[in-house]
Amino acid sequence: MTELLPQNQIDSFKARAAAIAHPHELIVDLLRAIQSHYGWVPDDGVLLTAVTLGILPVEVEELATFYDKIYRRAVGRRVIHVCDSICCWSTGAEMITEHLQKSLGINFGMTTADGAFTLLPSCCLGACGDAPAMMIGLTTYGKLTPQQIDEILLKERAAIAAAD
Amino acid sequence: MPKLTIDNLQVTVAEGTNVLEAARALDIVIPHFCYHEALGAVGACRLCAMMFVDGPVKGLQMACMIKAQDGMVVSSTDPDAMDLRRHVIEWTMINHPHDCPVCDEGGECQLQEMTVAGGHGVRRYTGKKRTFSNQNLGPFVQQEMNRCITCYRCVRTYRDYCGGSDYGVFGSRNRVFYGRVQDGSLESPFSGNIIDVCPTGVLTSKPFRYKTRLWDLQEAPSVCPHCSLGCATVPGGRYRDVQRVRAGINRETNGFFICDRGRFGYDHVNHPQRPRQARVDGQPVMIDKAVMAARQRVAEMAREHGPNSVAFLGSSRASLEANALLRDLASTTGSTQLVFEAHHGRDRAARTLVARLGEHARSQEDIRQSDLIILFGADPLAEGPMLALAIRQAVRNGGRVVVIDPRPVELPCAATHLPLAPERLPVILTAFGRGDLNAFDAREREFFASLIEQLHSARRPIMVGGADLLGDKGVDALCSAAAELSTGARSVGVMTLLAGPNSFGGGLLAGDGPGFDTLLDAVHEGRVHALVCLESDPFREAMDPARAQAALGRLQLLVSIDATPSLAARRADIFLPARANAEMAGSYINNEGRLQAFLPVIDPGLPIRETGAGNHPPREFFQETPGSAPEADWWLLAQLLERSANLAEVRKTIAENDEVLAGLLSITTETTGLRLTARGVMPLSAEKPPLHAAAVGILTLLVTTAPVGSHWLAHLSSPLAATEPQPYVCLHPDHADALGLVAGDRARLTTHSGHCQVVIRLSAQMMNGLVLTPQLWDTALEGMRPGSLLDCRLEKETKA
Repeated sequence: MTELLPQNQIDSFKARAAAIAHPHELIVDLLRAIQSHYGWVPDDGVLLTAVTLGILPVEVEELATFYDKIYRRAVGRRVIHVCDSICCWSTGAEMITEHLQKSLGINFGMTTADGAFTLLPSCCLGACGDAPAMMIGLTTYGKLTPQQIDEILLKERAAIAAAD
Repeated sequence: MPKLTIDNLQVTVAEGTNVLEAARALDIVIPHFCYHEALGAVGACRLCAMMFVDGPVKGLQMACMIKAQDGMVVSSTDPDAMDLRRHVIEWTMINHPHDCPVCDEGGECQLQEMTVAGGHGVRRYTGKKRTFSNQNLGPFVQQEMNRCITCYRCVRTYRDYCGGSDYGVFGSRNRVFYGRVQDGSLESPFSGNIIDVCPTGVLTSKPFRYKTRLWDLQEAPSVCPHCSLGCATVPGGRYRDVQRVRAGINRETNGFFICDRGRFGYDHVNHPQRPRQARVDGQPVMIDKAVMAARQRVAEMAREHGPNSVAFLGSSRASLEANALLRDLASTTGSTQLVFEAHHGRDRAARTLVARLGEHARSQEDIRQSDLIILFGADPLAEGPMLALAIRQAVRNGGRVVVIDPRPVELPCAATHLPLAPERLPVILTAFGRGDLNAFDAREREFFASLIEQLHSARRPIMVGGADLLGDKGVDALCSAAAELSTGARSVGVMTLLAGPNSFGGGLLAGDGPGFDTLLDAVHEGRVHALVCLESDPFREAMDPARAQAALGRLQLLVSIDATPSLAARRADIFLPARANAEMAGSYINNEGRLQAFLPVIDPGLPIRETGAGNHPPREFFQETPGSAPEADWWLLAQLLERSANLAEVRKTIAENDEVLAGLLSITTETTGLRLTARGVMPLSAEKPPLHAAAVGILTLLVTTAPVGSHWLAHLSSPLAATEPQPYVCLHPDHADALGLVAGDRARLTTHSGHCQVVIRLSAQMMNGLVLTPQLWDTALEGMRPGSLLDCRLEKETKA
């Protein structure tokens, strides 16, 4: 997986950018495309986005660093975002976090030795009704208990193994 | 004109004024960070809260976001407003370090002031503060991100106002970071402005770092000497050292900002080789002795060989007072051999502009308000950087910009560019003015037909010219075109970039006197035996330096008055050390005819860092400050004339002798300057053009100026040294292809004056077929005169 994005996708973004008044609209889409293909967005990914859309690198980096779901550093195969905002905190997010850290053997900001999981805190995921919540990839998991977490981790590990 | 009540005081303000400004008009200062007059209001910092008690708006509001309206009753002292401000400043201060004693902003920190004004005294927050790694932003700006309060002023200045493209704001929440994508020098030629606008010590001046607290700094209002625009500056000095320059405020010229050349060009004042000692025949003497010797020898020469055997050369970097006194000295001597610029083209262009500009004169503020700006042979970033910034503001307000120039004129805004051969510019201007499209080919005809249409529908159009490329004929044609295209309802403006801060003054004083090349002929032919040089270096500034050096070698007497290590100063029989602009009071006339005064910041003297060489200065006792001999240029000339050397009296005498300069009696640094209405005299048309050099090749070379490196005073300033380019030539990519050259190649440039190794640069914006190279001081390109067209050869260097 050395290329940031397949050429046909780059061409498609170029064509879309040329057809609209504000190519900046496509920054996040393109960054996400790079991220899903490459795993994260390295500096070259920021440059590629700028060149593809015909905008300044600084304009891309401003957005890339603003959103915590765009990864500007290498991450594991799955990134776990644990909500630490008010509803989750009041329904046991700290206990959930502790369980995750213990079962993965890592702290926030770290990646497991096998490269499977990266653990990150997150601001509100919009799942207050299902608090405490976490998000892995595009899936949100709510009303979390330690048992559920163990099951989810098993399932995600299996998915990673299947993908390989 | 809305009338409102603020803190029980009534005030009437202009339509559109915000309440924060209205309060300021009553001397009520509301704490604020994000609001800046030039940047506008965004209501982001939440600090300028005021209580709107009665009228069209009610409740607690941000004063910067509310336009003043009739009947408003506003309180700045309302308990709720004060409580909100106190909390906002406390939040703002949460992450701010307690490092004021080691912070360069200390003593002039808006955050310090606003914290006190906002009523926050004791820190309650005991948690950890967020910290950052700093970036290296290059030679000018020092970053210390931990101090940041995220007011966004730097980004709004750098990106929005100045058009920079390599600085931004990253992250979110507590991680907000202002900087570049990667470490590296800030690319904008206006980068230093973020030092001025940062309300605290995040962005400070790198050359000024750890030098002086504001309260130890001597400051005075001044006028920038680094181009002809006459921007307001405030230099600061201490320990006989000019240490920094910050932007002054003049709403008619620069507004609130200045360019980096003006900001970091101050160091010529402290140049280690600056001659500070008066000399006669190589012997150091007291300055009075040297003045007396000069006076006597000039008189002797006039007696022996006739008055016209003494010639006088003024300068665009000398004060108006000194140049006017030089004219008096010439007339007292009885000599008509008087000129104010050694560069033939610049001299004639300045005189022509002064003679023709009249009511078409436009200021930088007029440029900012213009809706159509057409640049003919003007490259603002090199010839007057702040003009580029003014043009950008016009574009931000919806104006359009058209560039007609052989060079790849870069601007910090969108522009339409038509590359045309430089020698065609005067003809094109004439044809454009008359609406005569026959002078153009099919493609150009369409371009100019559309341009004329745009011009007719524009309400405040301005035509901008550059003296170097246009020359006298082009400037004349520019003014004629503006006159012809003006209608009763709307006048077409003109702004022309000249060479120096007082080029206009020189053009005004020059009358129909000879050009410098005519004077050189007279020296060569043995008719002129003596030359008095006022802050000019004819050895290096004349059109053909080799010829000038040969001719000037025949002089029997060379008197030089200068503040820089020029060749004239070194070779002078009698040398009189002058003060630099930051060391004296005086005045310049800028390129729109605006007479502006400046005041001294420090007295001359060898900087203590030099006399002390890093340690305590010597403990010997002197009655005089070392290196303090230099006197104001007008002081020296008044002494030569045996007149009172009191500035008020000098100005009075000048004004009495020449009513055109009556404005000298009333100018102060408090005003935006005085636009002169008087016109000068066109240069003699019979004068021969400069010698055309022998053909040495088939390529045509146009000599240009670089933003840094082509301007003598800025070249002498060490903080700018890192930004001076190596000798280069710029080619159109197709042309380079044909010559077998690529970008970055080393090549040998041959002109009539010799060879030079240059690096190849490419630009698709420039005219195909032309070779562009900047004049650069103290390089092999030093002898090139900006604006000249030469034959040249260009050969790729093969590595031995």
